[in-house]
Amino acid sequence: MNFRSCFKLKYFIIAGLTLIVLIFPLILSPFRLNLAIEMLIFSLFATSFNLLYRYSGLLPFGHGAFFGIGGYVTALLFNHLAHIPLLLTLSIAAIAGLVAGVFIGLFCIRLKGAYFAFISLAFQMFLYTLAFSWRTLTGGDDGMGVTRPDLDLPFLSKISMMDEGNIYWFILVIVILGIVACYFFLETPIANSIVCVRENEIRASFLGYDPFLTKLVNFSLASFLAALSGSLFVFFEKFIGTSSMNLDMSLTVVLMTVIGGSGHFLGPALGASLYILVQDWISNLTDRSWLIMGILFVFVVLYLRGGVISLFQSEKMGKIRLLIRGRGN
Amino acid sequence: MKTAALKIEKVSKSFSGLQILDRIDIDICKGERHAIIGPNGAGKSTLFNIITGLHRPSSGRLFFFGNDITRKSIHKIARLGICRSFQIINVFPEMSVLENVRNAIVSKFDRRFNWLSFLNSDEKINKEANRILDLCELGDVKNSPASQLSYGLQRKLELALVIAPDPILILLDEPTAGLNVEETRDAIKLIRQVTEGKTLVIIEHDMEVVFSLADRITVLNFGKILVTGTPDQIRMSKEVKDAYLGRE
Repeated sequence: MNFRSCFKLKYFIIAGLTLIVLIFPLILSPFRLNLAIEMLIFSLFATSFNLLYRYSGLLPFGHGAFFGIGGYVTALLFNHLAHIPLLLTLSIAAIAGLVAGVFIGLFCIRLKGAYFAFISLAFQMFLYTLAFSWRTLTGGDDGMGVTRPDLDLPFLSKISMMDEGNIYWFILVIVILGIVACYFFLETPIANSIVCVRENEIRASFLGYDPFLTKLVNFSLASFLAALSGSLFVFFEKFIGTSSMNLDMSLTVVLMTVIGGSGHFLGPALGASLYILVQDWISNLTDRSWLIMGILFVFVVLYLRGGVISLFQSEKMGKIRLLIRGRGN
Repeated sequence: MKTAALKIEKVSKSFSGLQILDRIDIDICKGERHAIIGPNGAGKSTLFNIITGLHRPSSGRLFFFGNDITRKSIHKIARLGICRSFQIINVFPEMSVLENVRNAIVSKFDRRFNWLSFLNSDEKINKEANRILDLCELGDVKNSPASQLSYGLQRKLELALVIAPDPILILLDEPTAGLNVEETRDAIKLIRQVTEGKTLVIIEHDMEVVFSLADRITVLNFGKILVTGTPDQIRMSKEVKDAYLGRE
Protein backbone atom coordinates (compact mmCIF):
# COMPACT_ATOMS: atom_id res chain seq x y z
CA MET A 1 0.00 0.00 0.00
CA ASN A 2 1.53 3.29 -0.96
CA PHE A 3 1.50 6.36 1.18
CA ARG A 4 -1.25 8.14 -0.70
CA SER A 5 -3.83 5.40 -0.48
CA CYS A 6 -2.82 4.80 3.11
CA PHE A 7 -3.40 8.46 3.81
CA LYS A 8 -6.85 8.32 2.24
CA LEU A 9 -7.75 5.15 4.09
CA LYS A 10 -6.82 6.82 7.35
CA TYR A 11 -9.25 9.66 6.75
CA PHE A 12 -11.91 7.24 5.63
CA ILE A 13 -11.57 5.29 8.86
CA ILE A 14 -11.62 8.48 10.94
CA ALA A 15 -14.75 9.71 9.16
CA GLY A 16 -16.45 6.35 9.65
CA LEU A 17 -15.55 6.20 13.32
CA THR A 18 -16.73 9.76 13.88
CA LEU A 19 -20.07 8.92 12.34
CA ILE A 20 -20.48 5.85 14.51
CA VAL A 21 -19.51 7.79 17.63
CA LEU A 22 -22.00 10.51 16.73
CA ILE A 23 -24.95 8.18 16.37
CA PHE A 24 -24.27 6.20 19.54
CA PRO A 25 -27.36 7.59 21.31
CA LEU A 26 -29.52 6.28 18.49
CA ILE A 27 -28.12 2.77 18.44
CA LEU A 28 -27.04 2.02 21.99
CA SER A 29 -29.15 1.03 24.97
CA PRO A 30 -29.17 3.58 27.82
CA PHE A 31 -26.84 1.40 29.84
CA ARG A 32 -24.32 1.11 27.02
CA LEU A 33 -24.63 4.83 26.38
CA ASN A 34 -23.71 5.55 29.99
CA LEU A 35 -20.65 3.43 29.49
CA ALA A 36 -19.77 5.41 26.39
CA ILE A 37 -20.10 8.67 28.32
CA GLU A 38 -17.81 7.35 31.01
CA MET A 39 -15.32 6.36 28.32
CA LEU A 40 -15.38 9.91 26.97
CA ILE A 41 -14.83 11.52 30.35
CA PHE A 42 -11.97 9.25 31.26
CA SER A 43 -10.44 9.69 27.83
CA LEU A 44 -10.06 13.36 28.60
CA PHE A 45 -8.76 12.59 32.07
CA ALA A 46 -6.16 10.14 30.76
CA THR A 47 -5.12 12.57 28.02
CA SER A 48 -4.53 15.24 30.64
CA PHE A 49 -2.47 12.79 32.66
CA ASN A 50 -0.37 11.92 29.64
CA LEU A 51 0.31 15.56 28.96
CA LEU A 52 2.32 15.54 32.15
CA TYR A 53 3.65 12.01 31.96
CA ARG A 54 4.83 12.00 28.40
CA TYR A 55 5.71 15.60 27.67
CA SER A 56 7.31 16.52 30.97
CA GLY A 57 8.41 13.04 31.95
CA LEU A 58 6.70 13.44 35.32
CA LEU A 59 4.72 10.56 36.76
CA PRO A 60 2.15 11.89 39.22
CA PHE A 61 0.49 9.49 41.64
CA GLY A 62 -1.94 12.17 42.70
CA HIS A 63 -3.54 13.28 39.47
CA GLY A 64 -6.93 12.20 40.81
CA ALA A 65 -6.78 15.19 43.16
CA PHE A 66 -7.55 17.52 40.28
CA PHE A 67 -10.33 15.31 39.00
CA GLY A 68 -11.80 15.53 42.48
CA ILE A 69 -11.30 19.29 42.73
CA GLY A 70 -13.16 19.76 39.46
CA GLY A 71 -15.90 17.49 40.71
CA TYR A 72 -16.34 19.09 44.13
CA VAL A 73 -16.28 22.62 42.74
CA THR A 74 -18.96 21.65 40.23
CA ALA A 75 -21.13 20.02 42.86
CA LEU A 76 -20.81 22.97 45.22
CA LEU A 77 -21.66 25.43 42.48
CA PHE A 78 -24.69 23.44 41.39
CA ASN A 79 -25.92 23.09 44.94
CA HIS A 80 -25.27 26.57 46.27
CA LEU A 81 -25.85 28.77 43.26
CA ALA A 82 -29.13 27.92 41.63
CA HIS A 83 -29.45 28.86 37.95
CA ILE A 84 -25.73 29.05 37.38
CA PRO A 85 -25.15 28.38 33.68
CA LEU A 86 -23.70 24.98 32.92
CA LEU A 87 -20.84 26.18 30.76
CA LEU A 88 -19.83 28.74 33.37
CA THR A 89 -19.77 26.01 36.01
CA LEU A 90 -17.53 23.83 33.89
CA SER A 91 -15.19 26.76 33.26
CA ILE A 92 -15.00 27.70 36.93
CA ALA A 93 -14.30 24.09 37.90
CA ALA A 94 -11.56 23.79 35.31
CA ILE A 95 -10.00 27.07 36.39
CA ALA A 96 -10.16 25.93 40.01
CA GLY A 97 -8.13 22.92 38.87
CA LEU A 98 -5.67 25.23 37.16
CA VAL A 99 -5.23 27.36 40.27
CA ALA A 100 -4.81 24.30 42.45
CA GLY A 101 -2.33 22.99 39.88
CA VAL A 102 -0.23 26.14 40.12
CA PHE A 103 -0.28 25.99 43.89
CA ILE A 104 0.49 22.28 44.24
CA GLY A 105 2.92 22.46 41.34
CA LEU A 106 4.97 25.09 43.17
CA PHE A 107 5.79 22.42 45.74
CA CYS A 108 6.07 19.36 43.51
CA ILE A 109 7.71 20.49 40.31
CA ARG A 110 11.23 20.84 41.65
CA LEU A 111 11.26 17.16 42.49
CA LYS A 112 11.82 14.31 40.11
CA GLY A 113 10.96 10.64 39.74
CA ALA A 114 9.72 8.87 42.84
CA TYR A 115 9.90 12.03 44.96
CA PHE A 116 7.61 13.84 42.58
CA ALA A 117 5.23 10.87 42.43
CA PHE A 118 4.93 10.69 46.18
CA ILE A 119 4.63 14.35 46.98
CA SER A 120 1.82 14.62 44.45
CA LEU A 121 0.27 11.62 46.17
CA ALA A 122 0.66 13.35 49.52
CA PHE A 123 -1.26 16.39 48.26
CA GLN A 124 -3.96 14.12 46.94
CA MET A 125 -4.29 12.31 50.24
CA PHE A 126 -4.48 15.65 52.01
CA LEU A 127 -7.32 16.78 49.77
CA TYR A 128 -9.01 13.42 50.14
CA THR A 129 -8.88 13.69 53.91
CA LEU A 130 -10.21 17.21 53.69
CA ALA A 131 -13.16 16.08 51.56
CA PHE A 132 -13.70 13.15 53.89
CA SER A 133 -13.74 15.09 57.15
CA TRP A 134 -15.34 18.39 56.16
CA ARG A 135 -18.80 16.89 56.29
CA THR A 136 -20.69 20.17 56.37
CA LEU A 137 -19.23 21.22 53.05
CA THR A 138 -18.64 18.02 51.15
CA GLY A 139 -20.97 15.56 52.76
CA GLY A 140 -17.95 13.51 53.77
CA ASP A 141 -18.26 9.84 53.10
CA ASP A 142 -21.88 10.14 51.99
CA GLY A 143 -21.01 12.49 49.21
CA MET A 144 -23.33 14.98 47.62
CA GLY A 145 -26.10 14.63 45.14
CA VAL A 146 -26.56 17.37 42.58
CA THR A 147 -29.31 18.38 40.20
CA ARG A 148 -28.21 18.46 36.64
CA PRO A 149 -29.01 21.84 35.06
CA ASP A 150 -30.10 22.24 31.48
CA LEU A 151 -27.79 23.68 28.89
CA ASP A 152 -28.79 27.24 28.13
CA LEU A 153 -27.10 28.27 24.91
CA PRO A 154 -27.22 31.91 23.93
CA PHE A 155 -29.40 32.61 20.89
CA LEU A 156 -30.62 29.03 20.96
CA SER A 157 -33.32 27.29 22.88
CA LYS A 158 -32.69 25.42 26.08
CA ILE A 159 -31.32 21.94 25.61
CA SER A 160 -32.73 19.49 28.09
CA MET A 161 -30.18 17.52 30.04
CA MET A 162 -32.69 14.96 31.16
CA ASP A 163 -32.29 13.28 27.84
CA GLU A 164 -29.43 10.76 27.79
CA GLY A 165 -28.68 11.46 24.14
CA ASN A 166 -28.25 15.19 24.76
CA ILE A 167 -25.95 14.50 27.69
CA TYR A 168 -23.88 12.25 25.50
CA TRP A 169 -23.59 14.80 22.70
CA PHE A 170 -22.81 17.60 25.10
CA ILE A 171 -20.03 15.65 26.81
CA LEU A 172 -18.75 14.45 23.45
CA VAL A 173 -18.37 18.03 22.26
CA ILE A 174 -16.56 19.16 25.41
CA VAL A 175 -14.25 16.16 25.45
CA ILE A 176 -13.41 16.49 21.78
CA LEU A 177 -12.79 20.20 22.22
CA GLY A 178 -10.47 19.41 25.12
CA ILE A 179 -8.57 16.73 23.24
CA VAL A 180 -8.31 18.76 20.04
CA ALA A 181 -7.09 21.77 22.01
CA CYS A 182 -4.49 19.49 23.55
CA TYR A 183 -3.47 18.27 20.13
CA PHE A 184 -2.96 21.75 18.76
CA PHE A 185 -1.27 22.84 21.95
CA LEU A 186 1.41 20.24 21.27
CA GLU A 187 2.28 21.99 18.01
CA THR A 188 3.04 25.32 19.66
CA PRO A 189 6.40 26.68 20.78
CA ILE A 190 5.46 26.33 24.43
CA ALA A 191 4.90 22.60 24.04
CA ASN A 192 8.27 22.45 22.33
CA SER A 193 9.75 24.16 25.37
CA ILE A 194 8.16 21.53 27.58
CA VAL A 195 9.67 18.68 25.55
CA CYS A 196 12.96 20.52 25.44
CA VAL A 197 13.15 20.68 29.20
CA ARG A 198 12.26 16.99 29.49
CA GLU A 199 14.89 16.01 26.93
CA ASN A 200 17.80 17.86 28.46
CA GLU A 201 17.00 20.14 31.34
CA ILE A 202 20.52 21.47 31.77
CA ARG A 203 21.03 22.30 28.13
CA ALA A 204 17.60 23.86 27.94
CA SER A 205 18.44 26.17 30.83
CA PHE A 206 21.67 27.19 29.13
CA LEU A 207 19.56 28.16 26.13
CA GLY A 208 17.43 30.40 28.32
CA TYR A 209 14.54 28.09 29.16
CA ASP A 210 13.24 28.25 32.70
CA PRO A 211 12.71 24.56 33.59
CA PHE A 212 10.63 25.28 36.67
CA LEU A 213 8.20 27.65 35.00
CA THR A 214 7.93 25.49 31.89
CA LYS A 215 7.03 22.42 33.90
CA LEU A 216 4.67 24.42 36.07
CA VAL A 217 2.77 25.55 32.97
CA ASN A 218 2.41 21.96 31.87
CA PHE A 219 1.42 20.81 35.34
CA SER A 220 -1.30 23.42 35.69
CA LEU A 221 -2.60 22.77 32.20
CA ALA A 222 -2.87 19.06 32.95
CA SER A 223 -4.69 19.97 36.17
CA PHE A 224 -7.04 22.21 34.20
CA LEU A 225 -8.07 19.37 31.91
CA ALA A 226 -8.28 16.88 34.77
CA ALA A 227 -10.59 19.21 36.66
CA LEU A 228 -12.68 19.67 33.54
CA SER A 229 -13.12 15.92 33.22
CA GLY A 230 -13.95 15.69 36.93
CA SER A 231 -16.53 18.39 36.43
CA LEU A 232 -18.11 16.52 33.52
CA PHE A 233 -18.12 13.39 35.63
CA VAL A 234 -20.18 15.03 38.38
CA PHE A 235 -22.48 16.61 35.86
CA PHE A 236 -23.08 13.19 34.38
CA GLU A 237 -23.26 11.13 37.58
CA LYS A 238 -25.27 13.74 39.49
CA PHE A 239 -23.19 12.75 42.48
CA ILE A 240 -19.80 13.35 44.00
CA GLY A 241 -18.22 11.26 46.72
CA THR A 242 -14.76 10.83 48.12
CA SER A 243 -14.28 8.02 45.62
CA SER A 244 -13.76 10.70 42.96
CA MET A 245 -10.67 11.87 44.78
CA ASN A 246 -9.21 8.72 46.27
CA LEU A 247 -6.12 6.76 45.46
CA ASP A 248 -7.99 4.49 43.06
CA MET A 249 -8.68 7.43 40.82
CA SER A 250 -5.03 8.39 40.63
CA LEU A 251 -3.87 4.85 39.97
CA THR A 252 -6.61 4.09 37.48
CA VAL A 253 -5.46 6.89 35.24
CA VAL A 254 -1.90 5.55 35.32
CA LEU A 255 -3.19 2.13 34.31
CA MET A 256 -5.36 3.56 31.56
CA THR A 257 -2.49 5.51 30.07
CA VAL A 258 0.00 2.67 30.18
CA ILE A 259 -2.49 0.18 28.76
CA GLY A 260 -3.44 2.48 25.93
CA GLY A 261 0.10 3.60 25.24
CA SER A 262 1.64 6.84 26.43
CA GLY A 263 3.75 7.18 23.30
CA HIS A 264 0.87 8.15 21.06
CA PHE A 265 -1.33 11.16 21.53
CA LEU A 266 -4.53 9.10 21.39
CA GLY A 267 -3.10 6.18 23.37
CA PRO A 268 -4.47 7.29 26.75
CA ALA A 269 -7.95 7.88 25.30
CA LEU A 270 -7.91 4.41 23.80
CA GLY A 271 -6.60 3.00 27.08
CA ALA A 272 -9.33 4.72 29.08
CA SER A 273 -12.03 3.41 26.76
CA LEU A 274 -10.64 -0.11 26.80
CA TYR A 275 -10.22 -0.02 30.54
CA ILE A 276 -13.83 0.92 31.12
CA LEU A 277 -15.08 -1.64 28.62
CA VAL A 278 -12.99 -4.45 30.03
CA GLN A 279 -13.81 -3.54 33.60
CA ASP A 280 -17.49 -3.51 32.84
CA TRP A 281 -17.22 -6.83 31.12
CA ILE A 282 -15.20 -8.40 33.92
CA SER A 283 -17.35 -7.04 36.70
CA ASN A 284 -20.22 -8.98 35.16
CA LEU A 285 -18.20 -12.15 35.60
CA THR A 286 -16.41 -11.61 38.87
CA ASP A 287 -16.14 -9.00 41.57
CA ARG A 288 -12.35 -9.15 41.51
CA SER A 289 -11.94 -6.86 38.54
CA TRP A 290 -8.80 -5.22 39.89
CA LEU A 291 -7.03 -8.56 39.76
CA ILE A 292 -7.77 -8.95 36.06
CA MET A 293 -6.91 -5.32 35.34
CA GLY A 294 -3.63 -5.84 37.17
CA ILE A 295 -2.83 -8.85 35.03
CA LEU A 296 -3.70 -6.88 31.90
CA PHE A 297 -1.40 -4.11 33.09
CA VAL A 298 1.46 -6.53 33.68
CA PHE A 299 0.91 -8.07 30.26
CA VAL A 300 1.04 -4.70 28.54
CA VAL A 301 4.13 -3.60 30.44
CA LEU A 302 5.96 -6.83 29.66
CA TYR A 303 4.89 -7.62 26.13
CA LEU A 304 3.40 -4.49 24.65
CA ARG A 305 5.51 -1.61 25.80
CA GLY A 306 3.92 0.89 23.47
CA GLY A 307 0.48 0.01 24.78
CA VAL A 308 -2.48 -1.23 22.81
CA ILE A 309 -2.24 1.63 20.36
CA SER A 310 1.12 0.40 19.12
CA LEU A 311 -0.78 -2.46 17.50
CA PHE A 312 -2.25 0.02 15.06
CA GLN A 313 0.97 1.87 14.41
CA SER A 314 3.11 -0.88 13.00
CA GLU A 315 2.04 -1.32 9.43
CA LYS A 316 5.20 -3.06 8.39
CA MET A 317 5.79 -5.45 11.21
CA GLY A 318 2.29 -6.77 11.42
CA LYS A 319 0.28 -7.12 14.54
CA ILE A 320 1.03 -10.73 15.26
CA ARG A 321 4.77 -10.40 14.93
CA LEU A 322 4.71 -7.44 17.23
CA LEU A 323 2.81 -9.43 19.77
CA ILE A 324 5.25 -12.30 19.61
CA ARG A 325 8.36 -10.15 19.72
CA GLY A 326 6.81 -7.98 22.36
CA ARG A 327 8.57 -4.80 21.37
CA GLY A 328 6.18 -1.96 21.09
CA ASN A 329 7.49 1.45 20.29
CA MET B 1 40.58 51.06 27.01
CA LYS B 2 37.78 48.79 25.89
CA THR B 3 34.80 48.03 28.15
CA ALA B 4 35.07 44.82 30.09
CA ALA B 5 32.40 42.44 28.78
CA LEU B 6 32.96 40.05 31.61
CA LYS B 7 34.64 40.95 34.84
CA ILE B 8 35.58 38.13 37.13
CA GLU B 9 36.44 39.52 40.52
CA LYS B 10 38.28 37.47 43.14
CA VAL B 11 36.25 34.35 42.44
CA SER B 12 37.00 31.34 44.60
CA LYS B 13 35.34 27.97 44.65
CA SER B 14 35.82 25.02 46.91
CA PHE B 15 34.01 21.72 46.87
CA SER B 16 33.78 20.31 50.40
CA GLY B 17 37.09 21.78 51.40
CA LEU B 18 38.93 21.17 48.15
CA GLN B 19 39.97 24.50 46.72
CA ILE B 20 39.31 24.41 42.98
CA LEU B 21 39.60 28.12 42.20
CA ASP B 22 41.53 30.60 44.28
CA ARG B 23 40.79 34.31 43.90
CA ILE B 24 40.55 34.43 40.14
CA ASP B 25 40.61 37.88 38.53
CA ILE B 26 40.04 38.10 34.79
CA ASP B 27 38.73 40.94 32.66
CA ILE B 28 37.42 39.85 29.30
CA CYS B 29 37.27 42.79 26.92
CA LYS B 30 34.50 43.25 24.43
CA GLY B 31 35.30 41.65 21.11
CA GLU B 32 38.39 39.81 22.28
CA ARG B 33 39.20 36.13 21.88
CA HIS B 34 40.43 34.90 25.19
CA ALA B 35 41.84 31.43 25.72
CA ILE B 36 42.08 29.70 29.06
CA ILE B 37 44.66 26.97 29.25
CA GLY B 38 46.05 24.86 31.99
CA PRO B 39 46.66 21.25 32.93
CA ASN B 40 43.78 18.90 33.79
CA GLY B 41 42.14 19.78 37.05
CA ALA B 42 43.30 23.37 36.92
CA GLY B 43 39.70 24.55 37.33
CA LYS B 44 38.98 25.71 33.79
CA SER B 45 35.61 24.02 33.41
CA THR B 46 34.64 24.98 36.95
CA LEU B 47 35.27 28.58 36.01
CA PHE B 48 32.88 28.18 33.06
CA ASN B 49 30.31 26.59 35.33
CA ILE B 50 30.54 29.53 37.67
CA ILE B 51 30.26 32.11 34.90
CA THR B 52 27.15 30.45 33.49
CA GLY B 53 25.46 29.95 36.84
CA LEU B 54 25.67 26.17 37.13
CA HIS B 55 27.77 26.59 40.26
CA ARG B 56 27.77 29.42 42.73
CA PRO B 57 31.19 30.79 43.66
CA SER B 58 32.22 30.38 47.29
CA SER B 59 33.31 34.01 47.21
CA GLY B 60 33.92 36.74 44.68
CA ARG B 61 31.68 38.36 42.12
CA LEU B 62 31.03 38.36 38.40
CA PHE B 63 29.89 41.25 36.24
CA PHE B 64 28.58 41.13 32.70
CA PHE B 65 28.78 44.63 31.23
CA GLY B 66 28.48 45.99 34.74
CA ASN B 67 25.53 43.73 35.69
CA ASP B 68 26.13 41.59 38.72
CA ILE B 69 25.42 38.01 37.59
CA THR B 70 26.95 36.24 40.57
CA ARG B 71 23.76 34.74 41.97
CA LYS B 72 21.57 34.68 38.90
CA SER B 73 20.08 31.40 37.72
CA ILE B 74 21.32 29.64 34.60
CA HIS B 75 18.50 30.65 32.28
CA LYS B 76 18.64 34.29 33.32
CA ILE B 77 22.35 34.47 32.62
CA ALA B 78 21.78 32.75 29.28
CA ARG B 79 19.12 35.30 28.34
CA LEU B 80 21.60 38.12 28.93
CA GLY B 81 23.56 36.78 25.98
CA ILE B 82 26.07 34.37 27.47
CA CYS B 83 26.09 31.02 25.74
CA ARG B 84 28.35 28.05 26.30
CA SER B 85 29.29 24.74 24.79
CA PHE B 86 30.18 21.63 26.70
CA GLN B 87 33.26 19.49 26.89
CA ILE B 88 31.10 16.38 26.66
CA ILE B 89 28.45 16.51 23.92
CA ASN B 90 25.29 17.87 25.49
CA VAL B 91 22.49 18.22 22.96
CA PHE B 92 18.86 17.05 22.72
CA PRO B 93 19.57 13.48 21.61
CA GLU B 94 16.05 12.38 20.66
CA MET B 95 15.31 15.46 18.62
CA SER B 96 16.37 16.03 15.04
CA VAL B 97 19.23 18.37 14.23
CA LEU B 98 16.79 20.97 12.97
CA GLU B 99 14.70 20.72 16.14
CA ASN B 100 17.82 21.06 18.24
CA VAL B 101 18.76 24.32 16.59
CA ARG B 102 15.15 25.46 16.60
CA ASN B 103 15.08 25.14 20.38
CA ALA B 104 17.79 27.74 20.54
CA ILE B 105 16.05 29.99 18.02
CA VAL B 106 12.71 29.88 19.84
CA SER B 107 14.50 31.01 22.96
CA LYS B 108 16.35 33.73 21.09
CA PHE B 109 13.10 35.21 19.76
CA ASP B 110 11.58 34.99 23.25
CA ARG B 111 8.87 32.67 22.04
CA ARG B 112 9.37 30.11 24.80
CA PHE B 113 5.89 30.55 26.19
CA ASN B 114 4.16 31.34 22.95
CA TRP B 115 1.03 29.25 22.52
CA LEU B 116 -0.70 31.04 19.68
CA SER B 117 1.36 29.85 16.75
CA PHE B 118 2.46 26.53 15.31
CA LEU B 119 6.13 25.86 15.42
CA ASN B 120 6.37 23.76 12.28
CA SER B 121 4.76 26.40 10.13
CA ASP B 122 6.53 29.36 11.69
CA GLU B 123 8.56 30.79 8.84
CA LYS B 124 10.70 33.16 10.85
CA ILE B 125 11.93 30.51 13.26
CA ASN B 126 12.47 27.79 10.66
CA LYS B 127 14.24 30.14 8.27
CA GLU B 128 16.60 31.27 10.97
CA ALA B 129 17.22 27.67 12.06
CA ASN B 130 18.06 26.68 8.50
CA ARG B 131 20.42 29.62 8.18
CA ILE B 132 22.32 28.48 11.27
CA LEU B 133 22.39 24.90 9.98
CA ASP B 134 23.87 26.03 6.68
CA LEU B 135 26.37 28.19 8.46
CA CYS B 136 27.52 25.20 10.51
CA GLU B 137 27.43 22.87 7.51
CA LEU B 138 24.70 20.72 9.03
CA GLY B 139 22.08 21.26 6.33
CA ASP B 140 22.44 17.75 4.90
CA VAL B 141 21.66 15.96 8.14
CA LYS B 142 19.03 18.28 9.53
CA ASN B 143 16.36 15.62 9.76
CA SER B 144 18.42 12.94 11.50
CA PRO B 145 18.14 12.52 15.24
CA ALA B 146 21.06 14.18 16.97
CA SER B 147 22.08 10.95 18.68
CA GLN B 148 22.72 9.29 15.33
CA LEU B 149 25.21 11.85 14.08
CA SER B 150 28.90 11.08 13.92
CA TYR B 151 31.01 12.53 16.69
CA GLY B 152 32.39 15.26 14.46
CA LEU B 153 28.92 16.35 13.40
CA GLN B 154 27.70 16.31 16.99
CA ARG B 155 30.53 18.69 17.81
CA LYS B 156 29.30 20.96 15.04
CA LEU B 157 25.77 20.76 16.40
CA GLU B 158 27.11 21.65 19.82
CA LEU B 159 28.64 24.75 18.25
CA ALA B 160 25.45 25.50 16.32
CA LEU B 161 23.49 25.51 19.59
CA VAL B 162 25.94 28.00 21.01
CA ILE B 163 25.83 30.48 18.16
CA ALA B 164 22.14 30.12 17.28
CA PRO B 165 20.88 32.41 20.08
CA ASP B 166 23.23 35.09 18.72
CA PRO B 167 25.00 35.56 22.06
CA ILE B 168 27.24 38.44 23.02
CA LEU B 169 29.68 36.30 24.94
CA ILE B 170 30.52 32.79 23.76
CA LEU B 171 32.16 30.26 26.04
CA LEU B 172 33.58 27.21 24.32
CA ASP B 173 34.75 24.31 26.46
CA GLU B 174 37.25 22.28 24.44
CA PRO B 175 35.40 22.51 21.14
CA THR B 176 37.94 20.32 19.37
CA ALA B 177 38.17 17.56 21.98
CA GLY B 178 38.22 14.18 20.31
CA LEU B 179 38.52 15.52 16.76
CA ASN B 180 41.29 14.48 14.41
CA VAL B 181 43.73 16.97 12.89
CA GLU B 182 41.67 17.70 9.82
CA GLU B 183 38.40 18.04 11.73
CA THR B 184 40.14 20.31 14.23
CA ARG B 185 41.31 22.57 11.41
CA ASP B 186 37.77 22.69 10.04
CA ALA B 187 36.31 23.39 13.45
CA ILE B 188 38.71 26.25 14.10
CA LYS B 189 37.92 27.77 10.74
CA LEU B 190 34.24 27.54 11.60
CA ILE B 191 34.72 28.96 15.08
CA ARG B 192 36.73 31.84 13.68
CA GLN B 193 34.02 32.52 11.12
CA VAL B 194 30.96 32.32 13.37
CA THR B 195 32.42 34.20 16.30
CA GLU B 196 33.49 37.14 14.16
CA GLY B 197 32.83 40.33 16.09
CA LYS B 198 31.76 38.52 19.24
CA THR B 199 33.50 38.03 22.52
CA LEU B 200 34.90 34.55 22.87
CA VAL B 201 36.35 32.64 25.78
CA ILE B 202 37.73 29.27 24.86
CA ILE B 203 39.19 26.42 26.86
CA GLU B 204 41.54 24.42 24.73
CA HIS B 205 44.36 21.94 25.06
CA ASP B 206 45.64 22.17 21.50
CA MET B 207 48.40 24.79 21.68
CA GLU B 208 48.41 25.34 17.94
CA VAL B 209 44.75 26.28 18.13
CA VAL B 210 45.22 28.48 21.16
CA PHE B 211 48.13 30.45 19.78
CA SER B 212 46.55 30.97 16.38
CA LEU B 213 43.11 31.94 17.65
CA ALA B 214 43.52 33.87 20.87
CA ASP B 215 44.18 37.55 21.39
CA ARG B 216 44.98 36.95 25.01
CA ILE B 217 45.65 33.86 27.06
CA THR B 218 45.15 33.09 30.72
CA VAL B 219 47.08 30.19 32.20
CA LEU B 220 45.49 28.46 35.15
CA ASN B 221 47.32 26.07 37.41
CA PHE B 222 45.90 24.50 40.58
CA GLY B 223 43.10 27.03 40.66
CA LYS B 224 45.37 30.04 40.46
CA ILE B 225 46.16 32.34 37.60
CA LEU B 226 49.74 31.84 36.61
CA VAL B 227 49.81 34.59 34.05
CA THR B 228 47.59 36.48 31.63
CA GLY B 229 48.95 37.98 28.44
CA THR B 230 49.20 37.98 24.69
CA PRO B 231 50.30 34.76 22.97
CA ASP B 232 53.81 36.13 22.62
CA GLN B 233 54.06 37.01 26.28
CA ILE B 234 52.83 33.55 27.21
CA ARG B 235 55.35 31.92 24.93
CA MET B 236 58.15 33.84 26.57
CA SER B 237 56.92 33.45 30.15
CA LYS B 238 59.26 31.37 32.22
CA GLU B 239 56.57 30.44 34.77
CA VAL B 240 54.37 29.00 32.09
CA LYS B 241 57.21 27.05 30.60
CA ASP B 242 57.99 25.55 33.96
CA ALA B 243 54.47 24.71 34.90
CA TYR B 244 52.93 23.70 31.70
CA LEU B 245 54.56 24.05 28.32
CA GLY B 246 57.94 22.95 29.50
CA ARG B 247 56.77 19.47 30.26
CA GLU B 248 56.16 18.64 26.66
